[in-house]
Amino acid sequence: MRDVDVLIVGASLAAAAAAKRTVDAGLETVILERKELPRHKICSGILSPRGHRFLLENFGPLPREVLHEPTSCRGVTFHFPCRVEMPMDFFHGTTPHLHRKYSDYWAIQRSGAEAHDRTSFAGLEDKGDHVLVRAVRNGEPIEYRARQVIGADGPSSLVVRAVYPDYTKQIPWFFVGQKFHEIIDCPLSPEYFHFWFHPGLGHYTWSHARDGRQIVGVGFKRGDNFARKHQVVEAYLRDKHGVQLKPADDDHEGCAENFGPSLINRYIFGKGNVLVTGQAAGFLNMIGEGMSCALHSGAISGEAIVEAQRRNRPVQEIYRKMIASEVRRCSDQWNPLKIAFDRPHEADFPEALMKLSWRERKLVLRDMWNFIVLFKEFKWGRQIAAAALQRPLLGGYPLQKWL
Amino acid sequence: MDIPLVEPGTVGPCPVAPDALQGIVRQQTNPARWNGEGWPGFVAELRTAGVDVAESASARGIFATDAGGTAYGMPHGVVVARSAAQVAVLLRAAQAHRVPVTARGGGLTTEGESVAYGGVLLDMTGMSRVLTIDRAAMTVRTEAGIYWHGLAEELRREGLDYLSAPLNMTSSVGGTLGVGGIDVNSARLGCSADQAIALQVVTPTGEIVECSDSENAELFQRVILGYGQFGVITEATLKIRPYTPLSMHYYYYSTLREAIDDLQLLDRNDASDYSGILTIMDCAVNLLVAFDSAEREAAFKANWEKQLRGHGEFGFALCMVGHYARRPWRLGEALYLLKRKQAVFPEFRRPEFHRDGRMDDRTVVFSRAVWKHWGSRNMVIPDLATTADKFVEAVERGNAVCRKYFRHYTLYCVGIKLRADHAAHYEMSCIPPGAEGWAYGCEFEPMIEGEVYSRDHFQSFKNAIYDIGVDMGASYYRFGGMMKGYIRRVFGDALVDRHLAMKRKADPAMILNRDVIF
Repeated sequence: MRDVDVLIVGASLAAAAAAKRTVDAGLETVILERKELPRHKICSGILSPRGHRFLLENFGPLPREVLHEPTSCRGVTFHFPCRVEMPMDFFHGTTPHLHRKYSDYWAIQRSGAEAHDRTSFAGLEDKGDHVLVRAVRNGEPIEYRARQVIGADGPSSLVVRAVYPDYTKQIPWFFVGQKFHEIIDCPLSPEYFHFWFHPGLGHYTWSHARDGRQIVGVGFKRGDNFARKHQVVEAYLRDKHGVQLKPADDDHEGCAENFGPSLINRYIFGKGNVLVTGQAAGFLNMIGEGMSCALHSGAISGEAIVEAQRRNRPVQEIYRKMIASEVRRCSDQWNPLKIAFDRPHEADFPEALMKLSWRERKLVLRDMWNFIVLFKEFKWGRQIAAAALQRPLLGGYPLQKWL
Repeated sequence: MDIPLVEPGTVGPCPVAPDALQGIVRQQTNPARWNGEGWPGFVAELRTAGVDVAESASARGIFATDAGGTAYGMPHGVVVARSAAQVAVLLRAAQAHRVPVTARGGGLTTEGESVAYGGVLLDMTGMSRVLTIDRAAMTVRTEAGIYWHGLAEELRREGLDYLSAPLNMTSSVGGTLGVGGIDVNSARLGCSADQAIALQVVTPTGEIVECSDSENAELFQRVILGYGQFGVITEATLKIRPYTPLSMHYYYYSTLREAIDDLQLLDRNDASDYSGILTIMDCAVNLLVAFDSAEREAAFKANWEKQLRGHGEFGFALCMVGHYARRPWRLGEALYLLKRKQAVFPEFRRPEFHRDGRMDDRTVVFSRAVWKHWGSRNMVIPDLATTADKFVEAVERGNAVCRKYFRHYTLYCVGIKLRADHAAHYEMSCIPPGAEGWAYGCEFEPMIEGEVYSRDHFQSFKNAIYDIGVDMGASYYRFGGMMKGYIRRVFGDALVDRHLAMKRKADPAMILNRDVIF
């Protein structure tokens, strides 16, 4: 049995950030990863400027290998069924287009933590003063004994399932998938990430350029058909935007997403000596960018462990107090009052809206409303409204709703 | 994967588009832990030379963080400084084995400057003796690891005092000389570093050198306010003066602008011996004025007191009652002011530290109050240092940032008299470029009050304050460590590269305090 201070499950950006803090503080830290490193990860790779700054300040300038082509993204363009386009540049300039396979590996290496790849998490038992973790490496069972465990293993987190077996049944699940096409002709600007507020296309529809190909991505409630949804979007891009693409290559990919917790302040931070962070905890920025909040929440989980050990306080107590700032920042992005009267995003939506004519603004707001109605079945409206009203009164979002 | 090596202090290649992170230097500011290569050989060499290296977890663990409490690091080993010769042996070995050395005095840095991210931590508190007191020349020679309160204790026995020291007395003399040191008499006597007449310095290559304005002046210029980059200060000769108790006066303002204008009026006219502003939020602004002698106090009362727009305690209390009676929705703020007043004011008037209406002695009173009422597990104190004319704007803009990030906070403003003959000392320091006569500094200190904040929250707050500095062409007192990304932004590449070239020449392996500035 390997005895360590901190065991982190998942070799993600959140894990690297957490490990950076614990390793710096001199804690022996091991990261478990079920695949072989560097491992593939489905992601748009468009990191927000805030996430870029975190990577720079904590791990140094990014090497070329961790970037796709184009290496940067200027901003986001919103498209609406009324055919109005709203390009919005990121604050502080362009942002990197990460190749997650290598960016995560680079960050893990830079964190200084020991990574055990091809090692699958299989369960845990919190013994109060330590946690016993079961894992499997090359088919052989292996055990770790850690003072604290961090679950940084993404939306379908096995750590979350181990701690809250019923959680997966409590939230709606989505599927996002992307296909890669050789380009014949693509009028969509390769400098922007394109997103469609179109209820007819799906819950989450995007496209952008990568390594000479065009990504066509779709997201929908789990249970629908990826190929059919993708076909609809491809036809829409061809008919409405004049995007001429060759048939998709074979390397399409997809994964389950827990979109929702950050909208309704229903985060999941773990129990006892087990902390959950990153997208596993429910952090997801607007337009589905989860990397920057994964980095920051991951770092906070590492800080909480260090701080709890120094103060001799329960780690959950410290973590939940520390994570409040990241919850505020992330949930503010979904808070209608904040969107209307503040600037919670890293691009200026209100300014872009004001650049449109009155007629276009009306059309855009109508289309956005129709898009939002697509999410009606999840009954999040009242919860979002309640959280938005509590925000100015409490100075944050209520902690009681967190798991 | 090919991860390009970035030389310390330089900006490495960055393949992300040039317009990414506009205005932000592409520099890692939270250092990577040193990999430990060569450590066993280094330790063996030191032990052969009779230098004790503590490697136990308990010996290293006490140095895991600094007063800021947000940066964590763990040295591979700890050496307690005993003599300049021993420090020289250590630095020569470190240079040969390329082992980072982090010097630490009181550990009162806030940005991890005295935290070792691997390598050896040199604990300077082992060198804490006062060597000689020369009453004729009015100087003291002391080892540099001594805390200011330790030095004060020795000097008081002789009826003497140093010129100026930081309010927080558990900072070390060497550390303070390396960064500046601001006291409430700095508007008259300059920063604490300016009272140093001569230093014994162990250079990064292990030579023991005596330096002053007349001897090895270039080294003296670099070591004073040099953030520990050009040598370890092992001994210092400081100016001293006769000890005098203080007569204190407090004036209260409800606006920062008026209080700052009055502070600058007093400083310009040399109307007081001590002056500074300490606030509760921006609601109760206290201008502190103090005197060493009855003559100076009488001159102030005759010529300047009437020109001050501040109120006495009773008058200000009436103003506050009127102010909050018209704004009942700010009752919480009013109650906080009252609570804070009741807790803090008596600390400055404790009878055991007053004789005949004069404070005796301020070292104890200030240091005690600072720790008790401003100290916490996190000392997060971003600051702005500007020229006199930009100061009001800088404080007001910083104050707006404080309001946004924290419920309660305090501001501490003080002037720093500049010595025309020390212009070279001030280069790339907290003294803002272009300052003449006086520079002014304001510290923005959130009251943590038992709360737990993430490092990211603190960092966002600090960035918001420091961005004001970039915008206004200011400087900072705490620009090292985690905030070093601002160095090139405020000083420009040409100046930083010139200092980097000097550093490389002085410290070829870049081992001494390597993640502080470069």
